[in-house]
Amino acid sequence: MVLDASPRLDLVFHALAHPARRAIIRQLSGGERNLSELAAPLSMTFPAATKHVRVLEEARLVRRRVAGREHLCRLHAAPLKDAMQWTEQFRRNWEVRFEALDSLLDEMKAEEQSRSRRR
Amino acid sequence: MNPTTKDMQLSTPTDTTIVITREFDAPRRLVWQAMFTPDKMRRWMLPPPGWTISTCECDTRVGGALELAWKSDEADPAMTLRGVFTEVVLHERIVHTETMALGSGQVVGSLVEQHEFSEQGGVTSMRITQTYASKEARDGAIASGMDQGMEGCYRQLDAVLVS
Repeated sequence: MVLDASPRLDLVFHALAHPARRAIIRQLSGGERNLSELAAPLSMTFPAATKHVRVLEEARLVRRRVAGREHLCRLHAAPLKDAMQWTEQFRRNWEVRFEALDSLLDEMKAEEQSRSRRR
Repeated sequence: MNPTTKDMQLSTPTDTTIVITREFDAPRRLVWQAMFTPDKMRRWMLPPPGWTISTCECDTRVGGALELAWKSDEADPAMTLRGVFTEVVLHERIVHTETMALGSGQVVGSLVEQHEFSEQGGVTSMRITQTYASKEARDGAIASGMDQGMEGCYRQLDAVLVS
């Protein structure tokens, strides 16, 4: 954890503290989207989506460019990476699964041993 | 058993890849069976809090399908994962495509996942290489892992606040 990045980190956590904004991040991980594409699956009005995107922009998690009449948004995940050990949760999700896999494998080994003993 | 030898290693050797390595105290034949047999997969592919696995199919032949679906209190399915096996060397190496989508059908991301297994003295070393289409997609996958974790934290917090 980089402590002197805490004002920035506050913005990042604030941005992530709303389910709609987390849903927007999830959508943007699939690539660039315009504002109406972001608003539609959230059953959100255009101004509401714009407001959430602005919060994400302030946290520098999203970058917006204007192409004609379209506002296109891109994910910019670097602040997460810079401000904290952002891979930590991804790692933990896998580690929890691998620990479950460890116990399953112990069970499978025990089953095989008892089966070969019975033979 | 020395727990440090089993520690998972996570790395991002290129802009579009994630590599995960882990050791298991079992022969690779069993690790393979645990990882690619539906009734076994349900035991370790733990869903996020409040979610359950509703579909789990895995046909480990070239051209065979991988299909998973999760449901939540709000949505069924809440998330789907569909892929096809493209390379299979039994107990050694397996490659599949993978597309995650929201319940609405909106695609969240696609990747190619390769698993490699080697065995020494009854211990299996596994290496997973995930390859994404772009750096954004790779970073997004890591960020959504974080999102899931935070969702879990918020739920726990809710439970504490209610009690």
